[in-house]
Amino acid sequence: MFHLLKIEWLKVKNYRTFWILSALFLISIFGINYIVFNVQQKIYNSQQAKGMAGMILGAPPYSFPTTWQMTSFVSSFLLFIPGLLMIISITNEYSYKTHRQNIIDGLSRTQFIVVKMLLAVIMALASSVMVFGTALTFGFIDGSSSLSFESFQYIPYFFIQALSFSSVALLIGVLCRRSGIAIGVYFLYTVVLENVCAGLLNHYANYSGRYLPLQTTDNLIPLPILRSAQKQFIPEANISVLLCLSVVYLALYFFIIKRKFETDDL
Amino acid sequence: MTVLSLNNISKSYGRIQALNNVSFNVPEGSVFGILGPNGSGKTTMLGIVMDILRASSGSFQMFEKTPDESTRKHIGTLLETPNFYHYLSGEKNLRIAAEIKQKGFNEIDDVLKKVNLYERKTSKFSTYSLGMKQRLAIASALLGNPDVLVFDEPTNGLDPVGIAEIRELIKRLATEGKTIIMASHLLDEVEKVCSHVAILKRGNLLTAGSVDEVLVNEDIVELNANNVSKLLEVLHIMKGYTNIKQEKNFVRLFYPNGTADLEHINQHCFSGGVVLTHLQLKKKSLETRFLELTNN
Repeated sequence: MFHLLKIEWLKVKNYRTFWILSALFLISIFGINYIVFNVQQKIYNSQQAKGMAGMILGAPPYSFPTTWQMTSFVSSFLLFIPGLLMIISITNEYSYKTHRQNIIDGLSRTQFIVVKMLLAVIMALASSVMVFGTALTFGFIDGSSSLSFESFQYIPYFFIQALSFSSVALLIGVLCRRSGIAIGVYFLYTVVLENVCAGLLNHYANYSGRYLPLQTTDNLIPLPILRSAQKQFIPEANISVLLCLSVVYLALYFFIIKRKFETDDL
Repeated sequence: MTVLSLNNISKSYGRIQALNNVSFNVPEGSVFGILGPNGSGKTTMLGIVMDILRASSGSFQMFEKTPDESTRKHIGTLLETPNFYHYLSGEKNLRIAAEIKQKGFNEIDDVLKKVNLYERKTSKFSTYSLGMKQRLAIASALLGNPDVLVFDEPTNGLDPVGIAEIRELIKRLATEGKTIIMASHLLDEVEKVCSHVAILKRGNLLTAGSVDEVLVNEDIVELNANNVSKLLEVLHIMKGYTNIKQEKNFVRLFYPNGTADLEHINQHCFSGGVVLTHLQLKKKSLETRFLELTNN
């Protein structure tokens, strides 16, 4: 396994696009949370709203323990970037035909594709670590409550959501092969198509839209503020169902990716 | 030992039959040429052997057993085009290949020197010319000093000097006892280096075997005189040849391999009163044979 990871490392080590996008992603996680945190500070510290904000919204979202959930929720809007990296990683192989060369040189098809899946896991893991650090940082800066790991489960949930985005990207990359088409399909699906479908299903079919592939993991991390108000309009999703379904979806992505790569003409 | 044996390999892409029940064996230590016009299925066949394409039916063995990925680690292969990461230097690309083959990085400089690419090893692959890319691919195939080499159009994109160098390299590898499987549509290339040959046409194997068997060598003597009708008359009373053909610019005599005696022919004609203006012995070239086989 180490041998396989080393091959992947040699591929990305000198690939500038990969590192620039990764750095931008990590900085953006901090940045986007910093912006939202500033808005929070404005609301909670302004003279007129003093006390009001606390009454209506509850404790500041970036205070412990809701900071885990809030940071995960806000950061999840950036998850298209690791997906993009995943697409670049796999479609580069197709366009350079190095997926063939790697096999010719002595990897098995299974080894080749399993390392790509592993890369998706590593990327999701790295994102989660960054989110953890950011949540911790803003929790301390907010300072209105002391460190607490209550509701820490949102960090693992974030990992699942990140993994889900990366694997969908890998799946689309393997199915489309061409980078342009793959990126187009990926954004069209994640940003537009699934949201439209989810909206329609939620409206006409008793909120079943939340069980669509990416909605499932997205719904694991709801906005932590105004929960009671939200509940009046939308029935809450069952977390265990969502978790089970997420695992099923992930297993399905990996199965299709592996199957497709193992049986196709390359 | 048989290095590679194909048993009834077929491959179709939809309605197109790329390979049709192809079977042959590559003996150890041979330089095995696979000949065929463009689109005859050469690359498809090697792709199947390398597990990047799936055969529709049939099977193949390497070293007399069903191959897996570790078998491929001991074979140096250049298939169709040089496939490398454009954003990496030649040297870094070879590191990836060496890591996959589980060989050390210390051989990289040696193989780069062998193909005259050492000076440009730190340049990005994307800056290489077609010939340099081809050289890098050959260098990559040489990593780990494999006993079997597979070259698909190895001289593609090379200049005349490069072609001669690669030809020398292949000959040298052959004298070291390595088995070389080489696909090409360049006949003189195959003729100059191969000991065995298989000829493919539209996915069908026309013939396979040692070069001598396949070519069924024949001596051809071309001759001419100012008075052609007199020449033909004189030749008709001469013995030894199997066939005679009158062409536009000369007369052709066909002899069994190694039996044509130019001195005797010249003497015979002269004593018959004909002075020859042209007399030349020609071996039947692979090209003629190839055209004969593929035209049917």
